[in-house]
Formats: sequence, C-alpha cells, structure tokens
Amino acid sequence: MAGETGDGNKHIETNSAMSPKYKLTYFDLRGLAEPLRFLLAYGDIEYEDSRFTFEQWPEMKKSMPFGKVPVLEVDGQALHQSMAMTRYFAKQLKLTGDDDWEAMLCDIMVDTMNDFRMQVTGYYYEPNEETKEKKKEVLFNETMPFYLERLDEEVKKNDGHFVKGKLTWADLAIVAMIDFMEDQLQTKFTDNYSNLKAIKEKVLDLPQIKAWVERRPKTNY
Amino acid sequence: METQYKLTYFNGRGLAEPIRLLFAYAKVEYEDVRIEKPQWPSMKPTTPFGKLPILEFDGKKVGQSVAICRYLGKKWNLTGKDDWDSLQCDVLVDTLGDLKQQVGQYRMEQDPAIKEEKKQNLIKETIPFYLQKLEQIVKENDDYLVGGQLTWADFQYAASLENFELIFGKEALDQYPHLKALKERVFELPGIKEWVAKRPVTEF
Repeated sequence: MAGETGDGNKHIETNSAMSPKYKLTYFDLRGLAEPLRFLLAYGDIEYEDSRFTFEQWPEMKKSMPFGKVPVLEVDGQALHQSMAMTRYFAKQLKLTGDDDWEAMLCDIMVDTMNDFRMQVTGYYYEPNEETKEKKKEVLFNETMPFYLERLDEEVKKNDGHFVKGKLTWADLAIVAMIDFMEDQLQTKFTDNYSNLKAIKEKVLDLPQIKAWVERRPKTNY
Repeated sequence: METQYKLTYFNGRGLAEPIRLLFAYAKVEYEDVRIEKPQWPSMKPTTPFGKLPILEFDGKKVGQSVAICRYLGKKWNLTGKDDWDSLQCDVLVDTLGDLKQQVGQYRMEQDPAIKEEKKQNLIKETIPFYLQKLEQIVKENDDYLVGGQLTWADFQYAASLENFELIFGKEALDQYPHLKALKERVFELPGIKEWVAKRPVTEF
C-alpha cells in the first residue's frame, strides 16, 4: 500500500517497491483511453491494460462507477473520467506547465480538442445514413477546417507545442486523439497543417511513446 | 495592482454561472458582460475558438468554462487538500458534464415525438441513475462533493441543480435531500447570497 508523502502523491510512487497496482479497463480500442495510455507509457508506469469485447460490455457496464469506461483501478479503488485521470498523472509527471496559468492553458487545449473530437464521434456513430451524409459535409467543410486552422496556429505560436514551447500533457493527449480520429475518418487530416503534423510526429517519436505504439494492440481506432 | 477581469457570455446563467458564483464567493470584482444574440456573429471570430464564455485578464483572453473554473478554484483555495481531492473535483465535474450533455440533447431535440421519448428516458432512467449515485457521494462528504469541504465542484453542481429544478420542477430534488442541501448551502454562502439577489433573472 503506497504511503503518505504529505504532498498529495500518496497514490503514486513510481520507483518504489510499494507502487500501487493499476488496472485500466476499456474497449479494445484506443479512443478515450489512449491519452491516459500515452501518459502512463511516457511515465514508465506499469499497469494492466484490460480490454473487453462489445459483447461483454452490457455486463461490464454494471460494475463501472457511472456505467462508463475508461475506468482505472488504483489498488482496487475505481477512478473514472478519462481527462480527469489523465490530468492527475500529468501533474505527477510534471507535464502541466510551470504554473497554474500554464496548467489552465493545457486544460483549454485539451478541452478544445475534445469539443472537436465529439463532433467527429457524433458523425462516426450516426446510425441514419442520410443524416450521416449531411453531418459529413458539415464536418469536412466547416468543423474540421475551423478547428485544425486554429489548433495549427496555437502550435505555431507556441514554438512547436500546444503550450508555451514545452512538452505538456496537452501534446500527448491531443496527439493520442489525432491518432485515433484520423483512423475514424480514414483521413490523415493533419497532413495539410504543418505545425500539427510536426507535433504529431514529435510526440510519436518520443522513445516511450514509440515503443508503446509498436507494442499496443492494433485496433480500428 | 489588482487584476481587472472581464467575463463575456450571453444574457443567461448557462456555462458562465459557475464562474460568476466563484467570483461572488471570492468577493472579487469583474465586468459581467452579457451580449445579445444579434451581436454574436460579429463577436464570434474574435474569440479564441468561436465559443463563449470567455474571460479576459492581464491582456489575455481564454475560453473553456470548466478550465477557467478550475483555475479560479485553485487561486481561491477551492480544490480540496491534495492532488487526490483535485482529481475527485475533476471526476465529479466531468461526470456532471456527461449528464448535462444528455439533458442538452433532449432540450435541443426538434422532433416532438423523439423529444418526449428522450424526456421520459431522462426522467425514468438517466437522471435517477446519476442522481442516486451522486446523492450517495454527497451524503458521504457531509453534504459537499469532495473531501467534506467546499470546492469549486460544489459551485458547478449548485448552478446545475438550480437549472435542474427549473426544467423538471421544484419537487424534482425532493428525493435527493443531500444534493438539495448542497445546493441550498452554496446559495446561502456570503457573497453568493448577495449575487443571487441582484443578478439578472434569465430564462436559462
């Protein structure tokens, strides 16, 4: 059992023999779990990467705190909400910028990317073919250019990162989302945005991330 | 020198109200700008990502209401006692966000038949599912959300629970006495009480 260190880090002792046991449960997908998996990979934090099938989901759902995944068990205590959990590990790994202002900038970038992601997911899972076609038009002609131009501009003005010219969890989380969204849309949409393309390559080239991407299960998204 | 804050939103509580509640509680002055719908198209391109609310201070302009609340919460010691408490604030605010999204989908539904179906689903399943679990959490935390003490998450919940009563009726919270107590306690706080008495009365 991890001991108290008095600074809120009682649940993470990455180099100690008393490291908490982590178990991440999600679909066999990258999706909303992948930003967290990127952070855990970056921090060399060991965890059980548990994946279930769509058939197993109705039963699994019942044991989740609020009926959703991803869920991370920390010594048996269940956490949920992907971005909350990812931010927590980012803090422990000192990837939230240098002060509260920069921490907010990280949050803003990730939340903005999430707004964009929800539009893409809304299109991807649309059951009605006709509605889906209409959504596709709006997505590709309006939503995507709107977000991608602005996100690209942010990276440009922040010297190749999403926040203040330095690596933060915003870079890791956003690239994890870009990675699976490009597969959802079957389009490398960052190819036309040089700054986004560059940060995507920079993150995917980080040794721990590169190793993770090489060994992770291959999934649709 | 004191920071000058300017908050811009539509004329409503909506996503800005938790921010306004935080300013009221901290007794920090700010300019509470409310724009009318016709002003929005020309203002939209001047915002970072085409959305409101935005907060301007120290020559900077930022959006994303939850990120702003977390920042102000940190500034005014409303994030609990450690990183784990901060995490719980984040978890519970995002959980509320999921519920709000479902309620929002019902409110935005155009087709009357589908809208009624969504309403019934919300009232019979989704809302009880969430509120029963949240009620239990608040009960275990002395009628707060996290760590038995006031955090920025309580302001988010108070604003939403107020809206909830307006949408579903004053009795809608009766079966959740601890959530109701949390809401009432926040609205009785010094600073907040005065704000509520003087704020514009709006539909949303």
